[in-house]
Amino acid sequence: MTSRPTAKSPLLIARELGVAAGGQELLVGVNFELRAGELVALTGPSGMGKTTLLRALCGLDEPTMGTVELENRTPAQWGYPAFRRRVLLVDQRPILFDAPLEANLRRPFEFHSARSEFSRERAVELLERVGLSATRLTQNARSLSIGQQQRASLVRALLLEPTVFLLDEPTSALDGEAVAEVEALIREELHRRSAAGLVVTHSAQQAREWCDRQLDVARWKLALD
Amino acid sequence: MNNAVPISPLQLAIAGLLIVATGGLSLALKLGLERSLAVAALRTVVQLSLIGYVLKWVFAVDSPWVLLVAMTLMIAAAAHAAIGRSKRSYAGIFERSFVSLFCSGLLTTFIVTAAIIQIRPWYHAQYAIPLLGMILGNGLTGISLALDALLEALSARRGEVEMELAQGATKWEAARAPLSEAIRRGMIPNINSMMVVGIVSLPGMMTGQILAGADPLQAVKYQIVVMFMIAAATALGCIFIALLTYRHLFNERHQLMWQLIKRRP
Repeated sequence: MTSRPTAKSPLLIARELGVAAGGQELLVGVNFELRAGELVALTGPSGMGKTTLLRALCGLDEPTMGTVELENRTPAQWGYPAFRRRVLLVDQRPILFDAPLEANLRRPFEFHSARSEFSRERAVELLERVGLSATRLTQNARSLSIGQQQRASLVRALLLEPTVFLLDEPTSALDGEAVAEVEALIREELHRRSAAGLVVTHSAQQAREWCDRQLDVARWKLALD
Repeated sequence: MNNAVPISPLQLAIAGLLIVATGGLSLALKLGLERSLAVAALRTVVQLSLIGYVLKWVFAVDSPWVLLVAMTLMIAAAAHAAIGRSKRSYAGIFERSFVSLFCSGLLTTFIVTAAIIQIRPWYHAQYAIPLLGMILGNGLTGISLALDALLEALSARRGEVEMELAQGATKWEAARAPLSEAIRRGMIPNINSMMVVGIVSLPGMMTGQILAGADPLQAVKYQIVVMFMIAAATALGCIFIALLTYRHLFNERHQLMWQLIKRRP
């Protein structure tokens, strides 16, 4: 294991990344760093490639050029499953299986790349933080409201304790109070574990007040003739 | 086993009257089926006669090479039919369907002729070709269902697979559930038919043997061998096509290359 870099050294580095979707180049020359403890907003109009960029950052898609490094190692050096475990993508649309919520939360701990055991106590603690009671654990996850599902999928991500969170509009299905709870919880987690977060948001207020700084994808937009 | 009642051309012509009568019924009731009925009946006669002569020749020559060519052609036709029905496809699907049927078909045919019926040599065409034919007829349905289920899971429901990959699953871990579901779907018709065989219907091969004058108990034993052979071959075929498709659609970086899956127009 490599030792965790000191507080302000970059965790994730994107170098000269290019991304494409459906055979169409969307972004080029993407360069940025995420440092421990920081939360960065990824902003820009819809359809410009924000989600595509997140997919390339976690290694779910291959970038058309450039490299991504986590703690100075590429996904190939980590091994893709181990890399993704640490650079965790949380989909905007929560995807939960047709099974009790607890089974959904446990599932990623069955993978070979799992680094810890599932803790039911920790799950209950996190669920309660986002306003879901422990009784939900036995309920079928698909029977939860969409807002509850989004919070449950966030809890699943937090349980995995990644080094970098890639959050695609994590509060899009939540109302005011729940948004505040989720924002506070994520902040706390980043601070507690010296993790970093990159969050896609369409809310200027969220980008300004919740995040430390903003990256606008427009600057990496491929110039169209 | 040569106490079958021979059928003369005249007797065949009388059977033809059944079709003529059916056509008349269609005319009287304005079903509009006369044309397709006539074409279908004609095709039945021509196709079966041709295959009858081909089989007669293949059995007479009885060369392993001729047998291999005949089997390859049968497998290619089955492989083509297996992929023709699925809603989704990918480049290279025919080759994989062919390999799946080739391996599962030849392996089970070999086991049945060499180890169970104990024909010497095992590739005696009179046994190998009808057995392979039955295997392929069932195997292609299994492969077709398995492919449909797998490609559906990996494209329409790819979000679930990619979410697991995103959480650190290896491609095998993420594909396990869709793969077993696909193999299950391919096997179900076969298991269902084993459940009801003899109760709802008498299988064609057994009926044929009984008509040809065989002892019913002997025919039953043959039929049991055939049902088991078909079940094993279908299972193998489904497993092969599922694994070959899995290897093609996931790369060494544990990414799902869903773009390779095309919807059939």
